[in-house]
Amino acid sequence: MIASLWLAAAMILLLLSSPAVAADKENCLMCHKYRFVGRIDENGKRFNYNVDENIYARSVHRNVACRECHTYITKIPHDPVTESVNCANECHIKPPFSKEKFSHKKIIDIYNESVHAIKPEDSPELREAKPYCKFCHLNPLYTRVDEKLIAFEKTLRRCLNCHQEKGVTQAYKHMTHRLRKKTSRSHQELVELCSKCHQDKELMGKFNVSKKSLEAVETYNRSIHGKSIALGSQQTADCVSCHASNMLHDIYKKDNTKATIHKDNLMQTCKQCHAQTNSWFIQIAVHPSIERDENPVVYFAGIFFRFALYGSLLSMVGLMLFETFGRKRDGIKFLLRHGTTWRGKSKRFG
Amino acid sequence: MSNSTGATAISANETPADDDYFTNVEGVGFIPRDIYKYVTSDPVGDLPRYSVHIVIQHFLTVATFMVLVSTGLPLYFSDLFWAPYVISLFGGADTARLIHRIAGFAMIFTCAYHVLTIICGTVRRILNKEFDYKRTQLPRFKDLFDLIHDIKYFLGIEPYRPKMEKFMYKQKLHYLAIIWGNSVLIAAGSALLFPDIMAKIFPETLAKLLPTAAEKGGSFPAFFQELARLMHADEAVMALIVLSFWHFINVHFVPGRFPFQWTFFTGKITREHQIEEHFLEYIRNLEEIPEEREYIKGLLREKGFDQSQVVSVSDLPRV
Repeated sequence: MIASLWLAAAMILLLLSSPAVAADKENCLMCHKYRFVGRIDENGKRFNYNVDENIYARSVHRNVACRECHTYITKIPHDPVTESVNCANECHIKPPFSKEKFSHKKIIDIYNESVHAIKPEDSPELREAKPYCKFCHLNPLYTRVDEKLIAFEKTLRRCLNCHQEKGVTQAYKHMTHRLRKKTSRSHQELVELCSKCHQDKELMGKFNVSKKSLEAVETYNRSIHGKSIALGSQQTADCVSCHASNMLHDIYKKDNTKATIHKDNLMQTCKQCHAQTNSWFIQIAVHPSIERDENPVVYFAGIFFRFALYGSLLSMVGLMLFETFGRKRDGIKFLLRHGTTWRGKSKRFG
Repeated sequence: MSNSTGATAISANETPADDDYFTNVEGVGFIPRDIYKYVTSDPVGDLPRYSVHIVIQHFLTVATFMVLVSTGLPLYFSDLFWAPYVISLFGGADTARLIHRIAGFAMIFTCAYHVLTIICGTVRRILNKEFDYKRTQLPRFKDLFDLIHDIKYFLGIEPYRPKMEKFMYKQKLHYLAIIWGNSVLIAAGSALLFPDIMAKIFPETLAKLLPTAAEKGGSFPAFFQELARLMHADEAVMALIVLSFWHFINVHFVPGRFPFQWTFFTGKITREHQIEEHFLEYIRNLEEIPEEREYIKGLLREKGFDQSQVVSVSDLPRV
């Protein structure tokens, strides 16, 4: 009896890890399942080509066969890989409700117009510095938002009246996992991701950006948005909340009319959170920096307040110490020496 | 009303600085300035000072201030190591911000309650013809002279502390600072909580008043918001520092008050403290409270001050 229970448990475990095997039609894991598949290049840098079935089986690409992205592989054992994957490839997954093969081409088209896109006139150095798909989207990291946030189980129960559980549950989860938030990453992860490059002043210097852009991460972290995010807030604006629309990859410089932060679009952008947005509100600096040249009154007010703070503190505490010292001659000493009115009749002068 | 110019029993030759050592109160006698050295005091308090409303308001202020500081400071100093720990005590940044707002509204309510108390009390006193601006928090030139007098006393130039009213110079200064600080915190805080609405109210009004400046001088909303961001935090830090380093120590830790003063709890002040720091208020107490009059009469008789004409200052114990 116990043995059969163990067997059942083992069967369940085996079943849980099966999807990866299912997607690996061409048996690439025959080699890549080994932990230390890799090579050492001429410079001594180590590469590991191990693919963890279990992590892969939980990623969004679990149903895509290896060679649908790694198209340049034509034989086994394959030649050293020189190309990188192209996310615009068409793969054999067919989305429901359409016959065409699935591809990320549309989002890449949007990306190609954005400020992050590689332009023909860019130097090799700049091409290197710009982020392409894989910089932000690393397959194993590409996880869903916590599904508990969405009341999908309740909604799903009605679908299950007619549909089979297996198919519809997956389809529903897939469609709803981004309904709540713009991104499936947390605000904190997103700020961290953008900061990776944008706070690197040396790297950003190559793009000849303005001083404001160069300090953008710094000033954001000083704003109430940044401070709340740093402390784990889930209700505050991160980078893409303002800098991208729901297409998410359409990030432009602010003089581009398509940019969400272009002065004509600000009203719409701020309204996402601030319901009473008006023409005055959008003039407020979101990345606050108090510069002497730009905001002299506030700059000097800040200095004045600092002086007022230390001045009043020093004069008050000074007066207090002076008084404490001065009153000693009246015989008023601390409790331990003569006592206070706490003892009923004053003994301070006795 | 006060008898600070009361009859003196000492000849000018003996102690020229002490020409108002004795204060003559009708029906009581001549009260020496340093009578506080001989009085009996109940640590919990002998004489009325604050009404129950003021005591409640003080408690509300303490509670809201502590909550506001402990939720606001970690947000402002979010990059310091302790900030996440304090924030997590309040259930995360979003909850802490919510608590901060609720406490802020509670503080505004306390302010309104206080203003209402002050207005009603003033109206009542005016109707009863009891109102005297000297017993209020209104600053006077006397306060400046009292400060100078007190400094002289601490230096050893003057023999006695000044005769002060119900509120002395320190308390008036602190009260004015609280009025200023609260106004700034409320105005700037609402600009931070409702930036969209406040961005319309302040700058639009100003732009109507100064149309040319609005065109030339750049952006009013940005200016006001930066100022609000700066002032809200700055006033709060200043309030915290002043309360912890000045108010608290001044009330509980200075000689004669250590280890604790019960006034904020009972609304009463000890007799010794009242005579020492609020002498003129004590004279008023004598007029208003018959029991106090009887007590001091007995004390004067016991100590032999009822025949002030024959007592010389040099007989009094001085340190």
